[in-house]
Amino acid sequence: MLITKLKSQQELDRYFDKRVFIFKCYGCSEIYFPEEEVNKLIKEKNEKITGLVEIDYLCNEDFAKKYIEKNTDEIQNAKGIIVFSCGVGVQVVAKIFEKSMVVPGCDTFYLNGFQGLTVLDCDCNQCGQCYLNYTGGVCPITSCAKSLLNGPCGGAKNRKCEVNPEIDCGWILIYERLKKINKESILKEKNYFVRDFEKIIKGI
Amino acid sequence: MIDYTKYKLKPADELKSLLKETSDVFILWCKKCYKAFEKEEESECQKFIQMFDEPEKIKGCEAIDFLCNRYLTEKKLAEIIGLDHHDIGVLSCGLGIQTVAEIAENKGVRVFTLADTIPQSGNATSVTGYHGMALGSEKCASCGQCYLTITAGLCPIVGCAKSLLNGPCGGAKNEKCEVLPEKSCVWIEIFKRIKKQGRNFDTGIQIRDNNVFTTDEKRKVSFFSIRRRTENFYGGLHPSENKDITENLTIEKFPAPKYVYIFLSQHTGSPSSLLVKEGDVVKLGQTIGKSSGLISSPVHSSVSGRVIGVEEKFHPTLLVNCPVVIIENDFSDEKDASICGYVEWEKMEDEALVEIIRDKGIVGLGGAMFPTHVKLRKPKNPIDTLMINGCECEPYLNADNRLMIECTEEIIEGIKIARKILSVDNVIIGIENNKQEAIEKIGKAIERYPWIILKKLNTKYPQGAERMLIKTTTGRQVPEGGLPLDVGVVVLNVGTVFSIYQAIVHGFPLIKRVITVSGSFEKKGNFEIPIGTPLKDILDFCGGEKAYDTENYYLKMGGPMMGVVQGEFDTAVVKGTTGYVLLEKNPAGTSEENTCIKCGRCVDVCPMELYPLYYAFYGKNQLWEKCAEYKVKNCIECGCCEYICSSKISLISLIKKAKKNAYNKA
Ligand code: SF4
Ligand code: SF4
Ligand code: SF4
Repeated sequence: MLITKLKSQQELDRYFDKRVFIFKCYGCSEIYFPEEEVNKLIKEKNEKITGLVEIDYLCNEDFAKKYIEKNTDEIQNAKGIIVFSCGVGVQVVAKIFEKSMVVPGCDTFYLNGFQGLTVLDCDCNQCGQCYLNYTGGVCPITSCAKSLLNGPCGGAKNRKCEVNPEIDCGWILIYERLKKINKESILKEKNYFVRDFEKIIKGI
Repeated sequence: MIDYTKYKLKPADELKSLLKETSDVFILWCKKCYKAFEKEEESECQKFIQMFDEPEKIKGCEAIDFLCNRYLTEKKLAEIIGLDHHDIGVLSCGLGIQTVAEIAENKGVRVFTLADTIPQSGNATSVTGYHGMALGSEKCASCGQCYLTITAGLCPIVGCAKSLLNGPCGGAKNEKCEVLPEKSCVWIEIFKRIKKQGRNFDTGIQIRDNNVFTTDEKRKVSFFSIRRRTENFYGGLHPSENKDITENLTIEKFPAPKYVYIFLSQHTGSPSSLLVKEGDVVKLGQTIGKSSGLISSPVHSSVSGRVIGVEEKFHPTLLVNCPVVIIENDFSDEKDASICGYVEWEKMEDEALVEIIRDKGIVGLGGAMFPTHVKLRKPKNPIDTLMINGCECEPYLNADNRLMIECTEEIIEGIKIARKILSVDNVIIGIENNKQEAIEKIGKAIERYPWIILKKLNTKYPQGAERMLIKTTTGRQVPEGGLPLDVGVVVLNVGTVFSIYQAIVHGFPLIKRVITVSGSFEKKGNFEIPIGTPLKDILDFCGGEKAYDTENYYLKMGGPMMGVVQGEFDTAVVKGTTGYVLLEKNPAGTSEENTCIKCGRCVDVCPMELYPLYYAFYGKNQLWEKCAEYKVKNCIECGCCEYICSSKISLISLIKKAKKNAYNKA
């Protein structure tokens, strides 16, 4: 799931040194979008703004075009266009207005796994050769900072990963899960296959 | 549209050796997501069954949509297999499998993975994702420090095979990438576009900082989002409220209309039967249509004057022509003799009070217009809670809010009457916390009555729907197809208890109500308005000329979510009119024809826990019975699914059609 955070005030101030047109996409505000901050900014910079389009699913070029049809002249005459959306939305607008300076008002980040709107605790890295059968359903590729398949690296301290002390060691989680379902023997009995990166390159 | 197939069956050998270990396996499969919804069965499940040479081991097979939706999957799993006996084999992407494994964790059930997730950027599980319907070619790698400002809107991280930020590597040949010769070198494209804009590279590029959003911050965001999904009740939305436009405007008397149009049908149930004819002189509050059945309600004249005709006019919610009594106002406001109140209502029989409430035409004012006397008649099931609905979760509307602020005492008095009739101990008032002033006023007023509990609720649409309100405040779940009565609750809207008070204490029938006028009207506000006031009077008085510009604007009776679009302006205020909002049309409006992309957002927001995407899919193909299979009758038409739909499918109109076609036949 792509989520967004407003760019630094300093950078934003720079964009507003001329008269600009604003796009604001609220399609994903149900998950996370700094809507209040954007609204505040729009209010503050009011006199610099020549027009505003509030849209959902700016990432859909067809929808975006319909919105834009109504305001084309206004947009083209603006000295710049600021888009508050994820990187996809910015690229859509930039493609339509190739000749204008289109800038992103937000930085885009990734949140673990999602369906629809719901963010999950777990994540999948599309390795192409799912290992979950041997790990009790905890993914070693995403829950281990080093994506190890050969058990823990040995560096964990107090359950925490040595690379990122904010997360639990994935292999401890795997062990605990297997123990819960009485299958910790898997760890000794099974041989893991080495990762086959060709699957990723070719996209099986 | 690109096919973002998520997973495929593991190789046969692997599966065989894997399933040697189990004797009893239940297969779950996911119908896949983020792909054009063109056929229902989307899985390798059949292939697996055919290939598997020990069919006796398979104890069952079931599809669950969006397997990674933890809340619904957990419910369904409990329903389907009870999670006790079998091992589970899962055919889905890594997310679905992990979700099932997590749910099954405490049951000691082993979960087998039967599929491999297909490595491909741009599907639901990858960093370089899309949302909504952006299944085109643009991609974003969520690097957290967007460079598009400098690169003229072309992403160097995704576009360049080496994600270079320092310009081209120099290896491109004939403008093609040296790593992936079928791709153009993005840096060349960036240069071209910058030229088109008449610019040069004038800013330096910052090196990548791969740690801009800390794990902790991410966790906070995840937590926030998961909480919002399941807080109070499953699903629901947080649309822009726009309540500030009218929330501080005191209730104003709307100028008395010259004519009123009183619809004979202003309630759920059979229309009332006409008691007057052309030429009759009527007084304010006189009954002009009497209740014609068990579930019905009388209607009264909201002015004094002369009946000048009984005609058919377009009904604002039923959307067909219905009989109306047209009365010319003589502006004398001469009251009918029947208007006399009972200050000493506490001494009266409950039955007599219910009779008055019926005779005064009180119906639910939240919009549903269900006759209140039916709710108050001693029900079969024991009732232990009277719920007062002060949520007003629809954006823009403030009618209930203002009423709570300005008529607090009257509302409390109304609550006391309803409580006596139902002889319940507990009264709960639910108010969303975006109405601080109302919460303060009511909170102060109920200090004297320890049996009234005020619940301040975090806002979430559609919390004002009875089921959701009951779930939020009492934790009880109204059964499928059931009523609040089934869980011992009667729900009354604050406007309704106010009119109960008016009816009992002052003898006034329901002939006026408070409405909010908001949106693109010149004059916005909260008005006390006689029932039957022509819509045109409101448009004139509030400067709603734009409503006639049906190209660019639409007028809704009610709020923007559940309100009914008014296409015909020769109509009038009815008892269930909560307000009018005039809104600019969305240039990318909804359509029944758009293709569903199985994003699953509608499933995430449906408070009735339905799967609205099937109404989009089967509705488009007119397979109404299939919609019935997916329980379309449980839909409360709250509009959440249509609001969030990333393909802008007009789900509500499809749902309405499905309800009509699926059940009328049967
Ligand atoms: S092992 Fe992890 S990364 Fe690989 S397919 Fe399974 S869940 Fe995805
Ligand atoms: S309108 Fe119906 S299907 Fe759509 S979200 Fe509301 S209850 Fe669910
Ligand atoms: S109906 Fe709309 S919201 Fe639901 S899955 Fe399809 S595209 Fe997504």
